[in-house]
Amino acid sequence: MRETVKLISMEGFEFIIDREAAMVSQTIRSMLTSPGGFSESKDGVVTFPDISTTILEKICQYFYWSLQYSRGKETEFHIEPELTLELMMAANYLHT
Amino acid sequence: MVFGRIDRPIIFWEDGSSIIDESVTKLKRILEGKPETAFVTEQYMKNYTTIYDMCTQKPPENYSDQLYNKFRGIFEEYAKQTVLPSIMEKHDEYMLREFSQRWDINKIMVKWLSHFFFYLDRFYTARANLPNLNKAGMTCFRDHVYESIHFNAKQVIIALIHKEREDQQIDRALLKNVLDLFVQNGMESMDRYENDFEKFFLEETTSYYSRKASSWIQADTCPEYMIKAEESLKKEKERVTHYLHSDTEPKLIKGVQDVLLVSVAKDLLEMEDSGCSALLRDDKTDDLARMYRLYHAIPKGLEPVSEAFRLHVTSEGNTLIRQAEDKATNNNVVEQDVIRRIIDLHHKYMVYVTECFQNHTLFYKALKQAFEIFCNKKVAGISSAELLAMFCDNFFKKSLNDKSNDESTIESTIENVVKLLDYISDKDHFAEFYRKKLARRLLLDRNFNDEHERTILTKLKAQFGGQFTSKMEGMLTDMQLAKEHHSGFDTYIGNSGKPKGMDFTVTVLTTGFWPSYKTSDLNLPLEMVSCIESFKAYYETKTKHRKLMLIYSLGNCHLNGRFDSKPIELIVSTYQAAVLCAFNNTERLTYQELLEQLNLGHEDLARVLHSLSCSKYKILNKEPATKTISKTDSFEFNSKFTDKLRRIRVPLPPIDDRRRVVEDVDNDRRYAIDACLVRIMKSRKVFSHQQLVSECIEQLSRMFKPDIKVIKKRIEDLIGREFLERDTENPNTYKYVA
Repeated sequence: MRETVKLISMEGFEFIIDREAAMVSQTIRSMLTSPGGFSESKDGVVTFPDISTTILEKICQYFYWSLQYSRGKETEFHIEPELTLELMMAANYLHT
Repeated sequence: MVFGRIDRPIIFWEDGSSIIDESVTKLKRILEGKPETAFVTEQYMKNYTTIYDMCTQKPPENYSDQLYNKFRGIFEEYAKQTVLPSIMEKHDEYMLREFSQRWDINKIMVKWLSHFFFYLDRFYTARANLPNLNKAGMTCFRDHVYESIHFNAKQVIIALIHKEREDQQIDRALLKNVLDLFVQNGMESMDRYENDFEKFFLEETTSYYSRKASSWIQADTCPEYMIKAEESLKKEKERVTHYLHSDTEPKLIKGVQDVLLVSVAKDLLEMEDSGCSALLRDDKTDDLARMYRLYHAIPKGLEPVSEAFRLHVTSEGNTLIRQAEDKATNNNVVEQDVIRRIIDLHHKYMVYVTECFQNHTLFYKALKQAFEIFCNKKVAGISSAELLAMFCDNFFKKSLNDKSNDESTIESTIENVVKLLDYISDKDHFAEFYRKKLARRLLLDRNFNDEHERTILTKLKAQFGGQFTSKMEGMLTDMQLAKEHHSGFDTYIGNSGKPKGMDFTVTVLTTGFWPSYKTSDLNLPLEMVSCIESFKAYYETKTKHRKLMLIYSLGNCHLNGRFDSKPIELIVSTYQAAVLCAFNNTERLTYQELLEQLNLGHEDLARVLHSLSCSKYKILNKEPATKTISKTDSFEFNSKFTDKLRRIRVPLPPIDDRRRVVEDVDNDRRYAIDACLVRIMKSRKVFSHQQLVSECIEQLSRMFKPDIKVIKKRIEDLIGREFLERDTENPNTYKYVA
């Protein structure tokens, strides 16, 4: 399964997004491209027991927005204020 | 409250540490090829998260330092415990193989663990001014493994290279990997590679080849040695492409060249019977080309070769000249052969320069110098300038009759002549001789090939300047004009109704262009006088204010001689005709009478009479019948004269004016030197003696080589004529007097 990856939140929600979108996160990217016995056995699933569903959802949206932005469509990414703190911590963790 | 995961428990050192250890062990097993399941994302995330947490926890649970040290520790331990021993326990090639493999493993391990420990790199390492994880990992390998191994590794590598030099097979890929390892362990600089390997390698190489060189030089001839040297250089270059680093190439090649070529250069090139001069002698162009290729790359390497070349060509040229000298004493005909052989020699060695020596300037110079030496030698008293002029003369005369000479041979011969002229220093001598012979060709031979003559003049003009050829071009133009005058004169005569008398043509020459000819106030026979007058009248109609001076010495006459047996047409010069016509009125004349009647000088008259009475055709009988003319002789018309031909040419031997030519040219040179000196002083105003002389020589070198004594004399003369004056304080300096 090379086209999409599955990200699982702490509550168990599964988010299936494009591989390209997931690569926006450096952490996920290095995990997916590590050499040596990794890629083959990989099933494209990453669990984040530390990240809540709401945050993970927002993060997925961010991935897609980031791709759009880099392709020239310069829109705004709105963040609800109450999410900011957790969002930032997740971003730090995911290196995004 | 922990900054980080709100609901995460704190990870303590021991726990975190053991998680990491587990993964590391797993990784090691994978890398060493032992059976092990591959990593799953979960595990990856777990490791990453663990480390992340440990770094983001507030102190004293912030374990960043420890984590960094642990990272390093992992590598150190692995190196000491596993890697190094495994390498040390093997030898030779196996050791190298192990070394190389371990290096590869290490690289992967660094990569993986960096991913796990990545968070450290984001903030910690920069803040603490520590090398990043990648570097730290590499450094560990270098310090703990590389340092201990490299010496042995180097020995093994050099031994393998030696094997290959002795034509044995080795594992090139392995060497390439190991040498890459050396380079990479230098961490962005080449000094590991250079100091730990390259240095020793180059040393090894030079000693290997110097041993070879000394054995080869004893046993082989020059060409054989060169072939081996070329082979060796080629092999070494290949070696670089196969497994050495490209930086090594120039050093390696230089080293090998130094040993194989430079240090033995003298012995090699001067080898008896096969060195440079022998190769030239035997025309071994391939070997010479190889010699050029090999020594081309070495600075100053070609100098001894070009020196040998020059000497060889000079000696060949000198031999040619000597042979010509010997032949000349035997029979008098010299010039054709010698010049043609010089041209051939030049062609031969020019081919050498272009092909063997790849058009290198050093060899052009050598060729030029060699030719300049022997081209300026005299052969049997005749200077080369004159020889060349004679050659041209004969060549043109022949090419008229010999239609087999096609355009291209003529073209190429002309070119060769011009090239040869370049080497002769007395070019003005050549110009004078050529001019005189040209005049003769144009006037006496009648049918000259205008095109060919113009071709050579164009080439000479291109090479030496317009001044060189202006007179000669004028001569050719005169001949063209003369043709027009001939037809003009005929129409004039036809129109005037006056009887022409005899068949009569005049060629008008412009005085400046043609060589000066002696003329005399010959008393012409009456029949001829009227013709002259009518032509003068015609010429007046064409151009006024010009004086026509008649040169009888160049004229030609066809006389019908009514002899007893049959009439014969005689082709004679004007002087001879005048003498013969004198016998129209009387049968017998004495020398003195002829002298008065014709108003000729003694020398001329004697010459003419000799040609008519003492040579091949005895048209006049001389009394007494001696072989020379004396003033007391008397002459009688020989009616009994006959010949099998109906028309004969009675030649008049030309005067040997060679000395005069040289004298004239030398006089001209004096004027040229004067003009040159004045020109220099006018622009410089003040000049020292040395500089004046050298500059004068340089300016005049295009035409001739001036004699220093003559220059000195001219300077004195100019001082006397108040063009220059000596400086009062410094007698070695001259000042221009306006």
